[in-house]
Amino acid sequence: MPVDRVAANPLRAAPAPRRDVEARLVSREALSPDAQLLRFDTGAPADALPGQFAMVRLEHGGLLRRPYSYCDLGAEGHGSGFALLVKEVGIGTRALLQLGIGGAVSCLGPLGTAFDPPRPDRIPVIVAGGVGIAPFVLFARRLQEAGRRGIVLLGGRSEADLYLREEFERFGMDVRCATEDGSFGRRGRVTQLIGAALDDARDVQLYSCGPTGMLLRTAELARASKIPHQVSIERRMGCGMGCCLGCVVWARRRPGDSAEYLRSCTEGPVFDADAVAWDRDPHPL
Amino acid sequence: MSSSAGPAVDLSVEIAGLTLPTPLIAASGTFGYGDEYLGVADYEAIGAVSAKGLYLNPRDGCPPPRIWETPSGMLNAIGLQEVGIERFLAEKLPSVRELGKVLLANICGSSFEEYGELSRRLDQAEGVHAIEVNISCPNVSEGGIEFGCDPDMAARVTEVVRRGTRLPVIPKLSPSVPDVGVMARRLENAGADALSLINTIPAMAVDVETQRPRLANIVGGLSGPAIRPIAVRMVWQAARASSLPVLGMGGIGGAGDAVEFLLAGASAVQIGTMNFVDPGVWRRTLNGLQDYCRRHGVARIRDLTGAMEPFAPPPGGTR
Repeated sequence: MPVDRVAANPLRAAPAPRRDVEARLVSREALSPDAQLLRFDTGAPADALPGQFAMVRLEHGGLLRRPYSYCDLGAEGHGSGFALLVKEVGIGTRALLQLGIGGAVSCLGPLGTAFDPPRPDRIPVIVAGGVGIAPFVLFARRLQEAGRRGIVLLGGRSEADLYLREEFERFGMDVRCATEDGSFGRRGRVTQLIGAALDDARDVQLYSCGPTGMLLRTAELARASKIPHQVSIERRMGCGMGCCLGCVVWARRRPGDSAEYLRSCTEGPVFDADAVAWDRDPHPL
Repeated sequence: MSSSAGPAVDLSVEIAGLTLPTPLIAASGTFGYGDEYLGVADYEAIGAVSAKGLYLNPRDGCPPPRIWETPSGMLNAIGLQEVGIERFLAEKLPSVRELGKVLLANICGSSFEEYGELSRRLDQAEGVHAIEVNISCPNVSEGGIEFGCDPDMAARVTEVVRRGTRLPVIPKLSPSVPDVGVMARRLENAGADALSLINTIPAMAVDVETQRPRLANIVGGLSGPAIRPIAVRMVWQAARASSLPVLGMGGIGGAGDAVEFLLAGASAVQIGTMNFVDPGVWRRTLNGLQDYCRRHGVARIRDLTGAMEPFAPPPGGTR
């Protein structure tokens, strides 16, 4: 999907140049026992498009940088700094979660591709599982700024995994939840909410990020209904700059091309779901 | 740009007739085809770039997962996903040439003929200044390390490339050899102009919860600071055994690391994994080298090559 880059539209900004900047932790908000929203200040205006990510490095956080989606920018979407949604999965995330206020990280970004703006005639429907909601807070903010409304489908094992749902409501999104244990919203998987969302809004455009099974099911539903669908695919990354080729996804560069290993850091992380050759990918992360 | 006041230090080095403005080289497979880090790394501090390894034909590489972090190291099994010589010459080289950097093309073949064909094609390519010959990739089933562990095979590859080009020929050696000194002498006699070492060390990691290998390829190559002392030792051995200049690499992340390789016998150093960690490594290392030379009264960085003094007990004796 080609994107017209028009600066005045918050959904159609041009990508910012990549820089490696020092960022300091200014606040942390516990979202669940093992997840936090961390706000950093960079001392300069931060810029990133929804879906883009940063490679973050800090002391005692392992050798390599770790990729994190920009969850939000500035204090209220503008100004200096950014927010990251971090859930503990290993030594990198643990070090970030234990970083003291005022502690510094190196942040290389913004990197990768962004979500295309929804077409004027389509309602955006976001499908997110667990920390997969991270890139959609900034996206929802930009949708609101552009006067667009959308539907957000959140899923998790239980209520504690439904991070930041009030944020989406604040941005005017219609938020619907599913939990596997039934502790909040519908009992079951978030993909079971997709059917009703498609019934409620005639022309929709899907955006998804989360566990591989969720992405795969969402892609199946989108393809069956011929709905445009973009997916953010995270892979283990070495550099984030397109050089190590560690983060590849088996996908087509353009419709009609044969599939090849594309870099989730450069050709992604946001791919058209139809471009991903799901029969050979997903792989276990 | 100088990092502090003091006499100018000559940071240039000469390798096989090529003058590099700095002794820092971007290692193959970690810097793309050369221009990927524009705007992020300080290219002024980079003396040369070794481009992503090339076969004659494009390759898909290994299935993912391809990388895994280990203590102070990075394990990878990329399997040389690359675009092939045609697309390299047509699509990559023109923009890389614009960088104005000394460019090493890095080649890998599945046969002697393929190495020969690649060297002939690159000999005519404007903007390619030397050929680094990969005989040491641990992650490809054909070519790569099978050529690099046997001195006879490695010498034959070197001779084939030598016949195919007038460019400097720089075999890149595997750490998986019993005696790197023997290998270095054989390759010198086979017509090599310089040696690069070390490539990654064959290694693996297992997820004990799933009881499965971390990498789809099971075995990968280990890089990063974890392998540095091994690399320093092998550079020292190779430099002593032959008269060829050595491009040393293995986990170099700063000036102290680089000086260690130079003292052990390297004429220049390559940086790979640590550029992923910090693209500021180029300027920081070059400034640090300049400061080091001033502190030690060294006018030319090339004077550090092989300048390690013999071991002597410190004053007061060993502890």
